[in-house]
Amino acid sequence: MIQLNDIRKVYQMGKLPFEALKGIDLTIESGEFVAVMGPSGSGKSTLMNIIGCLDTASSGEYHLDERNVAGLSFDQLSQVRNRKIGFVFQNFNLLPYATSFENVELPLLFNGKSAKQRKERVRELLDKVGLWEWHRHRPTELSGGQQQRIAIARALVNEPPILLADEPTGNLDSNSGREIMEIFQGLWEAGKTVIMVTHDNTVAGYAKRIVRLLDGRVENGRKSA
Amino acid sequence: MIATFFRNLFRDLVRQPMRTILTLSGVMWGTFAVVLLLAFGNSVQKQSMKNMRGMGDRLVVVWPGRTTMAHGGFTKGRPIRLTTEQVYGLTDHVKGIAQIGPEFRQGRRLRHGREEFNITVRGVGTEYTDLRNTIAQNGRFINKIDLERRRRVCFIGDTLAKDLFKQDEPVGGRIMVEGVPFTVVGVMKKKIQPSNYGGNRDTQTLFMPWTTFTALYGSKYVNNFIYSTAPGVDSAALERSLRSYLSRKMGFSPKDTDALFIWNQAEMLEQVNVFFLAFNIFLGMIGSFTLLVGGVGVASIMMVVVEERTREIGVKLAVGAKRRQILFQFFSESLMIIIMGGILGFAASAFLIGVLPAEKIRDYVGVPQINPLVGIATVLILLVIGTIAGIAPARKAASTNPIEALRS
Ligand SMILES: Nc1ncnc2c1ncn2[C@@H]1O[C@H](COP(=O)(O)OP(=O)(O)OP(=O)(O)O)[C@@H](O)[C@H]1O
Ligand SMILES: [Mg+2]
Repeated sequence: MIQLNDIRKVYQMGKLPFEALKGIDLTIESGEFVAVMGPSGSGKSTLMNIIGCLDTASSGEYHLDERNVAGLSFDQLSQVRNRKIGFVFQNFNLLPYATSFENVELPLLFNGKSAKQRKERVRELLDKVGLWEWHRHRPTELSGGQQQRIAIARALVNEPPILLADEPTGNLDSNSGREIMEIFQGLWEAGKTVIMVTHDNTVAGYAKRIVRLLDGRVENGRKSA
Repeated sequence: MIATFFRNLFRDLVRQPMRTILTLSGVMWGTFAVVLLLAFGNSVQKQSMKNMRGMGDRLVVVWPGRTTMAHGGFTKGRPIRLTTEQVYGLTDHVKGIAQIGPEFRQGRRLRHGREEFNITVRGVGTEYTDLRNTIAQNGRFINKIDLERRRRVCFIGDTLAKDLFKQDEPVGGRIMVEGVPFTVVGVMKKKIQPSNYGGNRDTQTLFMPWTTFTALYGSKYVNNFIYSTAPGVDSAALERSLRSYLSRKMGFSPKDTDALFIWNQAEMLEQVNVFFLAFNIFLGMIGSFTLLVGGVGVASIMMVVVEERTREIGVKLAVGAKRRQILFQFFSESLMIIIMGGILGFAASAFLIGVLPAEKIRDYVGVPQINPLVGIATVLILLVIGTIAGIAPARKAASTNPIEALRS
């Protein structure tokens, strides 16, 4: 369960402080499928980075499975990112010189898994996204949709309960986008918590709940339920 | 895990072959300089030691002189004199002497055929050959029978043999020493001896039995005597007990260094060793500076590498890398360049030392060798510089902000 209380994020723009998040209160239960929407600059990515433990809030409380994340050190946050959260980016963020196999393997390297375990896991995940036959290829040899599927395999390789995606279909054509969303749909059905940012209403249609941000605030505040 | 580590490391290094080669060669050149300078320093030191041993090994030379202090009822200025019997008798009173013998010396005129020379003539015993390394190349050294019978035989230095006999065989030849005919029984093997005390160097000296010498020239007291310290005996302590014994026996103050002047090779060697330690540290430092330049090259290139790979670092941090894992990755990359450059530099210097025309330079600088000491010193210097060069880029990499890195 994700619980945000009065989360604020202040950026220092030169001398002026700029408040990108102005007190976010948000609760997301395990197993939800949430789309975060809002105009450009409304703070969606900032919020996702905080939820994904890539960034820390300037103030406020963030409880992840009852544990306060605010007090954790950088390396403790690394551990949370490694085990609990899979992150998918708009621009994939694959290592260009590494093969698909190595890209998917990366989180396992920081989790102390043996070579045998790693190989099994990577194979399983690449099969799941239908790209095992590409495991020796580098990202530049793959289409955008394929690259994003590799990125999803990487995000899931440590079996995190939560999948975060910041505009995962933003760089893809509608066909590839649909493929990605079908994978997300399947993951949600298998029990994962899925949170994604999107501008696309069709994509947002896969989600069961929509959180709208405007100017650093949640527009549709407290969950109606 | 280790295999993955090395595979990635290797890939990172070959991805920019030109850059890797340039940084490698910087380190290689530095290592080359360190190894060569240390190896040469070491061989020069060894050669100097060897040159000093041309005089003898663990050798002590003692000159009885004149007292400069009043002592035990005697006024100062009294000469201290020892006979050959007294010299040989010293072994009964002073423990720790391996071999001892007298030395008589005078300048004399030699003739062989039409060649004439003024040269140092020494009267010595059979032990002299061991003490002073006057080894026979042809024939033999003076022996017991020569001494007992006061034979008119001589052992001559190799240069003297050439000067007198030219192409002829000297052994069995005849030399007139101021009108007295002597038979040559041996010629000294060539040795390295840069200097000598009193008179010509051994290579230009004529040695005869001391019995013959005293009979011919009427000397009663030795010019000096020489002895070697037995193995395992502290030569300074032996020197003290010898001085104290003789001062009691001959009646001079043990503090009167002019009454008995002692030259101790072991002390000389110690000083020379200290000098060479300083010399080698100096050479090592020069080499280290060259290596340091190579290390700075590695560090600055690695800074650029970190800059270029910000996104990679960001991705790794995003999927759960800890800061110290990133630190370790870049640190080991720098260190690996240094180690590989070091190995190449080591190999290059070993090769150069291997193909060096050893014969031509040996007398001056000895035979340079990569001994364990040189190896250990170089490895230590490499590790220190590698650590210094690796730490800054690695820290820069580890302090990457993942969000900024991923946005770029
Ligand atoms: N590092 C930063 N320094 C200063 N301002 C920042 C920084 N990161 C984000 N901002 C500002 O914070 C606000 C929210 O940014 P954010 O990236 O979260 O928006 P977004 O909703 O994801 O927009 P988009 O739809 O364009 O991705 C923007 O005005 C942006 O300029
Ligand atoms: Mg955004």
